[in-house]
Amino acid sequence: MPEDAPARRPFVVLRGLGRGESVTGWALVSPAVVLIGVFGLLPVLMSLQLSFQKSDLLTPETPWVGLENYRKLADDPVFVEAIKHTIIYTALFVPGTMLVGLFVAAALNRSVRFISVYRTAAYITMAVSTISQGIIFLWLTDRDYGLVNAALNAVGAPSQPFLASPSQALYVIVAMTIWGWTGFSVIVYLAALQGVPAELHEAAAIDGASAATRFRTITVPLLGPANLFLVVWLTINALQLFDEVYATTRGGPLRATTVIVYYLWDRAFVQFDAGYAAAMAYALFVVILVITAVQFRLARKHVHTS
Amino acid sequence: MIRRRLCIALVAVLALVLTACGGGGSSPSGPTEIAVWHGYQDTEGEVFKGLIDQYNKDHPDVKVSELYSSNDLVLQKVLTAVRGGSAPDVAYMFGSWSPNIAKIPQIVDMASQVSNPDWKWDDFYPAEREAATVGDKIVGVPALVDNLAIVYNKKLFADAGIAPPSPTWTWDDFRAAAAKLTDPSKGQYGWLIPADGSEDTVWHYVPMLWEAGGDILSPDNQHAVFNSEAGVKALTTLQQMAVNDKSLYLDTTNENGPKLMNSGKVAMLVTGPWDLSQLSDIEYGVQVMPTFAGSGGTHQTISGPDNWVVFNNGDKKKQAAIDFVKWLTAPEQVKAFSLGTGDLPTRISVGQDQTVVDKMDENLPGSKVFVENLSNVKKVRPTVEQYPAISEALGQAIVSVMLGKDQPADALNAAAKAADEALAGK
Repeated sequence: MPEDAPARRPFVVLRGLGRGESVTGWALVSPAVVLIGVFGLLPVLMSLQLSFQKSDLLTPETPWVGLENYRKLADDPVFVEAIKHTIIYTALFVPGTMLVGLFVAAALNRSVRFISVYRTAAYITMAVSTISQGIIFLWLTDRDYGLVNAALNAVGAPSQPFLASPSQALYVIVAMTIWGWTGFSVIVYLAALQGVPAELHEAAAIDGASAATRFRTITVPLLGPANLFLVVWLTINALQLFDEVYATTRGGPLRATTVIVYYLWDRAFVQFDAGYAAAMAYALFVVILVITAVQFRLARKHVHTS
Repeated sequence: MIRRRLCIALVAVLALVLTACGGGGSSPSGPTEIAVWHGYQDTEGEVFKGLIDQYNKDHPDVKVSELYSSNDLVLQKVLTAVRGGSAPDVAYMFGSWSPNIAKIPQIVDMASQVSNPDWKWDDFYPAEREAATVGDKIVGVPALVDNLAIVYNKKLFADAGIAPPSPTWTWDDFRAAAAKLTDPSKGQYGWLIPADGSEDTVWHYVPMLWEAGGDILSPDNQHAVFNSEAGVKALTTLQQMAVNDKSLYLDTTNENGPKLMNSGKVAMLVTGPWDLSQLSDIEYGVQVMPTFAGSGGTHQTISGPDNWVVFNNGDKKKQAAIDFVKWLTAPEQVKAFSLGTGDLPTRISVGQDQTVVDKMDENLPGSKVFVENLSNVKKVRPTVEQYPAISEALGQAIVSVMLGKDQPADALNAAAKAADEALAGK
């Protein structure tokens, strides 16, 4: 790319390239294009086709059923329940992870001794596999033998069933996944906090603004892009919750933690109803698309970029 | 020009990489290669590999290769492989999948094979043969058999001053003992049941249903009948222990049973022989499951036989795979495998061989009771393709009752309705 090319108009730059260069360009991106095409795009299209068919994954015949799978979704009480659980989960997990992450990041955004040790410690939960995390929390929250209940009993509170209770299990999974994802939001916020120009703070301090006022009027507005990124990223992940449920409650007790992707997996690989599961996946895809679009639209109004 | 050649070269490399992934297959000359997918690890894995090595040595015209694949996931893997045109030649599959497996066109129907007397098909336990049979097809050859019995902690029984379980125990005796063995202050429970609502929960309930005189489906497999008086009686027993006595630990993870048993927190498990090797810290005993008073004192249990399923990858490989499975499941190899691993013998002739059974019991105390308990397997779960849906409905009903959310009759009626809908294909 010529050094003096206008950076914000990449398409113009590309058009300006010679023929030979575009062939090189295609040659360089073709491995990625082929891999994404074969392992990403093709399955996406094939599952769209599957969602209009009846398939048990076993027999080669997959008759077309039109919109039947989508119609069934609307009448399926378990699917409705799964949507409800997914929404509750997302509504708690996303702000929870962001708040805890911001708090920890603010605490880590200073120069004290061993700060890199603390920062590593904050991120380390991201390195724990979700399955190990699930097993750790299963034992921590065990009704009879868990440390959490031992602590509750020590202060005179009664033992709680946690993951064994239909009314508590989903919230335990929220807490567990916030714990697991905090490291991620800490890293994003820490980077954003360090991008806040120190001179703005200095100038405001000279003008007499307190630390709290400075945080509210300088830091928080400048975190806009980080907030937007986290909201979108965490929401997409929350809507696709699966591993943590599979590792702990398997959707129970009494379907209390059956979220959309878990139910989808259950229908496809336990009940052998792949067409129906594909329809569910596409319903989820549309939901994610709409939510993300709404988030970006809201963000355009409120997020302070550049 | 150079750039264009670079581009072509890259495409060519990619094409090679992609074809290499789909490669495989044996050359026309040389030994016939067959691939066996199994879920054996540790001791079982070593003994199994030993058998395969022996087969390869004795049969130079065949080369059997084995591939470990977690049993839980093997069906998904096999389905993917079948779709991709690279099915294994033999795979270990859960018996509960038989009705679904029967629909895969690439599987080999073994019916015409096993009718040949040299297979000694009748030497397999009836439950195994039934679980491999779907309509007039035989989808596999028995690979494993097990059953459920009471495993109890001898010390906890002695401490509580209770006589250990006897073959004449009724479920009332079982319940009374479990209540006495429960001590909330020590976090100790009389009994533990897997309570995630999966088939693991269901198959603990089903033998109780059978013992009470009930069944899962009508004889023609058209309707659910588990919401009978017998079904309610069996589920009420679970309700009384879980809700009233609180002597039943509900294991929603399905992982904790052997661990809690081994640490003395649970006095009894109803489980199979596979858990015995994990109980190294306690002295345990094994006893057949209780009966319901008035049921005539007949013991029942449930068995979950698994199968070797053969896939058709061309006549030559198919024949080699059939020959291998025939050898693997012949009495001699069954005997070697049971002695090596402690797994129950899949053949009646081996199970009745006292020297084998005594040796197994010496290696792993309690094995003998499990071998003898095979004769108490009188029924099998229905081999209908809707079974996963029926199991799910029943599992949710059982858990909702044990959690005190529902009454047995209501829960079973609702589950029966869901099961009937699944059977009607709605």
